[in-house]
Amino acid sequence: MDMNKQIIGVAAFLLAVFVLVPILIAASGRWDLYYTLTSVALLAIGSAGVWLTFYIGRINIGQGAYALMGGYVSAVLMTQAGFSFWATLPIAGILCAAISVLIGLPILRLRGVYFAMITLVLTEVTRLTALALPFTNGAKGITSIPLPGELSLLGLTIIPDFATMENPKLAFYLLAVTLMVLTYAALWRIVNSRLGHLCRSLQQNEELAASIGVNTAYLRVLAYAISSFFGGLAGAVFVAISQSIYPSSFAVADSVNFMLYCFVGGLGFVTGPMLGTFLLYFGWDLLSVAKEYQLLIYSSAMIALMLVLPNGILSLFDRKGGGK
Amino acid sequence: MLRRSFLRTTALAAVASIAMLGAAHAENPILKIGFVGVTSGPAAAWGTSNQRSMETRAAWINETGGYDIGGTKYDIEIVSFDDQKDPKRAIAGMEQMAQAGIHYVVGPNVDDGAAAVRPVAEQNDIMYFPYAFPKELYTAPASNAILGMVANYQSGPAIYKYLMENNGVKKVAFVAGNESDPLSQRDSGAAAARELGLEVVSDSVTYQMDTTDFTPVLLPVIQTAPDLLVLSGVSPANAPQLIRSARELGYTGLISTETAQNAAVLAEGAGELANGFISVGGASTPDLASDMMKEFVTRYTAMFGEYNDESNTKVYALEYILATMAANPAAIEDIDAFKATMDTFEAPNPFMVGDAKLKYVGSSSFGQKRQVSVPLVVNVYKDGAFETLFVAQVD
Amino acid sequence: MEQILANGLYLGAQYALIALGLTLIFSLMNVLNFAHGQMYVFGGFVTYTVVAQWGLPFIVGLMASAIILAVMGALIEVFLFRPVIRKSKRDESTMLLAAGIAFFLDAVILLVFGEKQRGVPKIVDGVFNWDMRIIMPYDRILIGVLAVALIAGFIALMQYSKTGRAMRALAQDRMAAQLMGVDVDRYSMIGFALGAMLAGLVGGLLVTITGINLGMGGPTSIKAFLMIMIGGAGVISGAIAGGFILGMMESVGLTVLAAYGDITYLVIFASLMVFLAFRPQGLMGKPWG
Repeated sequence: MDMNKQIIGVAAFLLAVFVLVPILIAASGRWDLYYTLTSVALLAIGSAGVWLTFYIGRINIGQGAYALMGGYVSAVLMTQAGFSFWATLPIAGILCAAISVLIGLPILRLRGVYFAMITLVLTEVTRLTALALPFTNGAKGITSIPLPGELSLLGLTIIPDFATMENPKLAFYLLAVTLMVLTYAALWRIVNSRLGHLCRSLQQNEELAASIGVNTAYLRVLAYAISSFFGGLAGAVFVAISQSIYPSSFAVADSVNFMLYCFVGGLGFVTGPMLGTFLLYFGWDLLSVAKEYQLLIYSSAMIALMLVLPNGILSLFDRKGGGK
Repeated sequence: MLRRSFLRTTALAAVASIAMLGAAHAENPILKIGFVGVTSGPAAAWGTSNQRSMETRAAWINETGGYDIGGTKYDIEIVSFDDQKDPKRAIAGMEQMAQAGIHYVVGPNVDDGAAAVRPVAEQNDIMYFPYAFPKELYTAPASNAILGMVANYQSGPAIYKYLMENNGVKKVAFVAGNESDPLSQRDSGAAAARELGLEVVSDSVTYQMDTTDFTPVLLPVIQTAPDLLVLSGVSPANAPQLIRSARELGYTGLISTETAQNAAVLAEGAGELANGFISVGGASTPDLASDMMKEFVTRYTAMFGEYNDESNTKVYALEYILATMAANPAAIEDIDAFKATMDTFEAPNPFMVGDAKLKYVGSSSFGQKRQVSVPLVVNVYKDGAFETLFVAQVD
Repeated sequence: MEQILANGLYLGAQYALIALGLTLIFSLMNVLNFAHGQMYVFGGFVTYTVVAQWGLPFIVGLMASAIILAVMGALIEVFLFRPVIRKSKRDESTMLLAAGIAFFLDAVILLVFGEKQRGVPKIVDGVFNWDMRIIMPYDRILIGVLAVALIAGFIALMQYSKTGRAMRALAQDRMAAQLMGVDVDRYSMIGFALGAMLAGLVGGLLVTITGINLGMGGPTSIKAFLMIMIGGAGVISGAIAGGFILGMMESVGLTVLAAYGDITYLVIFASLMVFLAFRPQGLMGKPWG
């Protein structure tokens, strides 16, 4: 019964993002929505990572760092080593995961605000590193990056060259949404596996988990690496859209936003970060009609939301009351 | 397509009704011009002066019956988008402009934003006027961006040369914030100085944009004893503190920058220590300002309470867009017509006295005319106000 | 050398004062106040308005900043943090609230005070010059001394007054303090008001030297976070130590690493990360904050 409901829900969601949205946009002529929705999808991928670190009881305000790293990996490989965008995409994610293992090993021993703050500093460190490294072109950034080329397998074109497309906006949208769906499917799988149960035990009591034989250090690093993989992925696709990257492309503000997206959606729900990203990003855009009062209304709404639903929007549907 | 023909019908209807009724400017067709830039957060001052200049000028045009393009009077509507200095938001802003059918957009204000919106602008036939200096935005194959001001690699050498000849400057030091725009400006400034034969004694010291005490930052710079200290790409917020710290450390040489500053901010933040500080001004001086410029300042002040000297430069972008359209009405909908007109366009400059011209320049820097011509005014600060040091033109 | 130390001390004094308010609020309520920097900016603008626009004496401006921010802090605690803390399942939820308040204050500052850099003209003229070895303007010395006096006053308040003792008890163990008859709600409010007041006072003091603009809020918060982490979150002496250490690091680092340019701050931040990785509780903090 519950299972059936879930399957119907997922099917409806897939139908909506892959079929309904393009139809509605074509009908209404609001082509600008493609970019907005693409941004939401990509940011939701990054937030999914942040959410996973929340899941092991760590507040992660450093996802912007990995998005920036992923972006630079993709940009540098494409412009200096002649890689295809499609090859750089997994490399960006994997390299970010590898770096996060090195960084995570020492810092994941920290908890609470200490971990939160050190990840915040990490964002700034990454920006300064991007300014200083020899191959990132420093302050001048990397510009004129080509659009994603053709992806073919055994001579069969799977994805055509973006530069030849009539409508690259739609292509980017489909790419971002596909990645988002895969990300959340993976997240759902992780949470409902043995790994997820172990992670929850970390969230509740790390010492207790360790005492009953859970390898806490390994689990933490694994979760953090997966989280950073998502961050790198999101950053790499953004670079393909803007065809440029600067050290300021992902900044402290982005890291903070990733965290806020998770809070707004609800930390107890796999789909929380997706909903949070959608609401906050879209909400800001809609409020642009308020001109100079935009920020005032946006922040007031955020405060009001906290007062009414301090456990996130999805806590409305939380029947069990426990919140996983 | 539907929208365009709608616009044309309204335009026709408007012309017809004006012909019948004599005058009724409320019936004018609307011409939308966009602005994508930063109007909130730390750099709010940059975009705000753009947006307010545009709104002041638009309100003024509409009040006086609209802008005449090819025999039709248009009311000007400014559509603004705050990108929060985030390149990802800037793309969204440009998309919104494209959606609204806008072909002419002023902004963005910074390097990363200007680079990020380029694909959107080119795909949607948008001409945009960034206040950012990266050369690849303006050199072929790029052709949709038009630099809205004088670049630092144009003003810097002019200033250094003037100071070499008039003040005997030999040694120069650079200090910059560790962000893209200031660092790029420092590098091009130092290169220009070396080319002029100046000795660059220090160009590696940087500071965080949120520094609250510049004494430690400037200490090693001052120890190299330069004749000229260049504050590359300095923001109006940091300039007074840097000047104050340098002077309090006993530095007696010249201090200059290639960005525009605000006299009131300097007076509050550094007082008489700022005397002698050289900066690139808004593109106007009391001697240069026409009556129209003076009225613009009055209207701006009435509308927003306080004037910003930078708006002397930022009023130009909108004027260039409209004047170029007036020269070739097809440009309203067709940016290729706009580009073609740019090469030969020339019109009287309404904001300057004498026979100054509005025309597009930039051939020597970019190999094509992708820059508005505004006078390069170099100011020196004295007791709460700017005095003109010299005025030059960029080609 | 003397100059570097003097710069570091001055910078440290102002940093320590900023960090004090933040750490106080954290120790009492386990709230990381993202809006601390915005409160600092607000305080600076209040002093600016009173002194530069209305022409009243500096001390009046400073008092106005202190009072307005204290009231603001008390209201924020009672009407925002208290209900959210009561209802939320996880402590971290207050971070979203704090961030929301930070955005809100940013918006209010932009609407009320504008987007421009503001500053109060120097309150004392002249520069102290000891044989070219230490150069320090008199106004900087004055502000430094005032900052140290405020820090001393704050410590005295925490050590010797009934309020201070109650707040220390609260910080140590909320539950125990409550059982001992400490009115938790009342002292949480006072503590938040005091923390906000400190932020406002620093803003008021520094507006005479560094000026103020609406962009300074966020970065100031982050710097303050760094300081309390160096010293140990929630520990008063740790915040003071953290402030002075960061001040010294900047002063020394900027001089020693001047030749290497862009990497100065990279080295400072990276070494902080390394330090915290090895000593997660900071210098004096409780482990696991």
